[in-house]
Amino acid sequence: MAIRIQRVPSENLGGGVAARLIAILLALLVAAVIFSLNGADLGALGAHVLKSTFGSRFGLMDIGLIMTPLILTGLAVMIAMKVGAWNIGAEGQFCAGAFAATAVALFVPGPTVVIVPLMFVAGALGGMVWILIPTLARAYADVSELITTLLLNFVGVLLIYYVATGPWLDPSGMSFAATKRLPYDIPSFWGDVHWGLPIAVLLTVLVAAVLNYTRWGYEVRIAGSNPSAARYAAIPFRRHLIVVMLLSGAIAGLAGMFEAVGTAHRLQGGISNNFGYIGIMVAVLARGSAIGVLAGALLMAVILKSGIALQTQGVNISTVLALTGLILFFTAIGDELSHYRIVRSKPA
Amino acid sequence: MIDIRNLSRRRFLELSGAAGVSLGLSQAGLIGTARAADPLPAVAEEDAVIAFGYVGPTSDEGWTWTHEQGRQAVQEAFPKAKTIFVENIPYSADASRTFRQFVSEGANMVITNSNYGDFMYDIAKNAPETAFLHCDDRTMMDNMGVFYPSHWYPSYVTGVAAGMMTKTNKLGYIASFPVPTTFTGSNAFLMGARSVKPDATLQVIVINSWFDPQASTQAARALLDNGADVLFGIMDEPGYLQVAEQRGAKAVMLNTDSRKYGPNAYVSSIMFDFRKFYVDQVRARLEGKWTPGQYLLPFGDGTDRDVWGETVPADAAKAGDEAREKILGGWKPFVGELKDNKGEVKIAAGQEMTETDLYNWNWSIDGISGL
Repeated sequence: MAIRIQRVPSENLGGGVAARLIAILLALLVAAVIFSLNGADLGALGAHVLKSTFGSRFGLMDIGLIMTPLILTGLAVMIAMKVGAWNIGAEGQFCAGAFAATAVALFVPGPTVVIVPLMFVAGALGGMVWILIPTLARAYADVSELITTLLLNFVGVLLIYYVATGPWLDPSGMSFAATKRLPYDIPSFWGDVHWGLPIAVLLTVLVAAVLNYTRWGYEVRIAGSNPSAARYAAIPFRRHLIVVMLLSGAIAGLAGMFEAVGTAHRLQGGISNNFGYIGIMVAVLARGSAIGVLAGALLMAVILKSGIALQTQGVNISTVLALTGLILFFTAIGDELSHYRIVRSKPA
Repeated sequence: MIDIRNLSRRRFLELSGAAGVSLGLSQAGLIGTARAADPLPAVAEEDAVIAFGYVGPTSDEGWTWTHEQGRQAVQEAFPKAKTIFVENIPYSADASRTFRQFVSEGANMVITNSNYGDFMYDIAKNAPETAFLHCDDRTMMDNMGVFYPSHWYPSYVTGVAAGMMTKTNKLGYIASFPVPTTFTGSNAFLMGARSVKPDATLQVIVINSWFDPQASTQAARALLDNGADVLFGIMDEPGYLQVAEQRGAKAVMLNTDSRKYGPNAYVSSIMFDFRKFYVDQVRARLEGKWTPGQYLLPFGDGTDRDVWGETVPADAAKAGDEAREKILGGWKPFVGELKDNKGEVKIAAGQEMTETDLYNWNWSIDGISGL
């Protein structure tokens, strides 16, 4: 009997989940080894991290607040992947959404019940506008959206810096490189955690349902996995590509809107906090599943919050960034490996 | 002149034993009105947690390194107290999360080193027994005070030397953000230069960061390409000094003696020493005497210029030192008439700018472009 290793076209669900869990554990193990080589007390560090994350009210609130934009940017990247597009520009769309929502908050007077939904729409539209050119360039000229969405991130971040330190700078001089505190707020439901979190979760479930249980979703998935086959089956690939990419930008824009209005309460230079880029990690970890997006966002939020807690214990922030990189690295290896299976066969 | 890198322990103890830093800022200025707050209760040294929040890495050999020397001085002065610090705090909601983490770890005092007042506000409101002290900001509360070095004086002094040295009459300035401290630094530098070269101009490039060696290096190249031959800036790292060294230009630095990165280009540096101030503030907090104040580290005591660089001509060093002595003797360099760079008279002839005006300066003088 011989043992062969055979590559299969699609991995199974169990393999993918197992690959992720093993990747996370391996990354934590590598981090633990490095920490102990540096003489850290792992037990004390672990206890400190647990207390600062799941073990305290503030810890849980922070996780909720960090998760909110990560769910949305993760979802944005994930749905673009469904139609075969890489939206690397969630960061820029996040900025555009925050910008548009702030513009409404600063310059449109009105009652909260009108303005908050208006900011919601503005945030989504801002993100959509930001991805419009990459979308059309991809759909009609076959320009790689990977490059165009990425490059627009820098424009988005600079736009925020420009308005936050220039025309929209807080006239009182009290805040640094930021607008004044916005006069509207997303209502909170638990401590500082605002309704952005349940809305993000709901949106994720909704998108998953549409993708999995509607004819449109089915067509999108076919178009994404095999554009030629989709064309052969008279599925309008281009139309689906445009709609899904615009939707992706809108969702990333919403993330920016919630961060500016609900969490930061102002538009400030550093508002994006790399949430757009971390959203790519969330989407990769999620493997195209909505539950996966929620789990990935939770994991990244816990890691980011742990990073803040670890730093007061003398652990460098770069260590935490390296940890997120390690998880992605091991996941990529695990994903590839889960395409293989061991086959036993009798010699002919 | 204090060489803060080679300060002996004895000299340090002399300094920290000296009287508290004088209050330089008007209590009725833009910074806020006087607080009549009761002192926060005393804390036993062994129970004390003093937290420091930094904008850059402690290894930056610049601004954050300088503040880290202050933390180490506090640890040395109060060995039983616990000091903690976090580096590279971004200007985002993460800043507030970090400060809340400090409070949840029992911090009795939180000291931050760059414009974090707005991010500390909500946290300080909910932690009335924690003292908050922030650098270069404008939020005052019953438990929150502010401090800053009066960097405009050494900026003027080094500007005089730069004016003596420039051949193109063009100076360059690498700014972080368009905020008062960069307006004040660049204005003071050009005013110093213009006291000896009335036609001198200054071009500013804003890079949206205090610590981005790549961006500051690019900005330095662009400024030199435009004809500048002496650079100044408000960077937390010595990148633009290295560019000046490669290109045969000169550079005035900030924070520390960084001449080893460009011995030929190095003119001087605006030097800061927060150790005495930090030790005094922490002592007041532990003894139950701390109330929020508005402090300026005065010129000559916590703020000064470094020993001149090797290649600085004697006449430039002499002119700079004469200006320094005059200022230390009470002369005021920041007097009208001053026009902004749109031509409007902002300070009338003979009118003297107060420390509050200098701290809050938010317009560029005539001769400055790019800010």
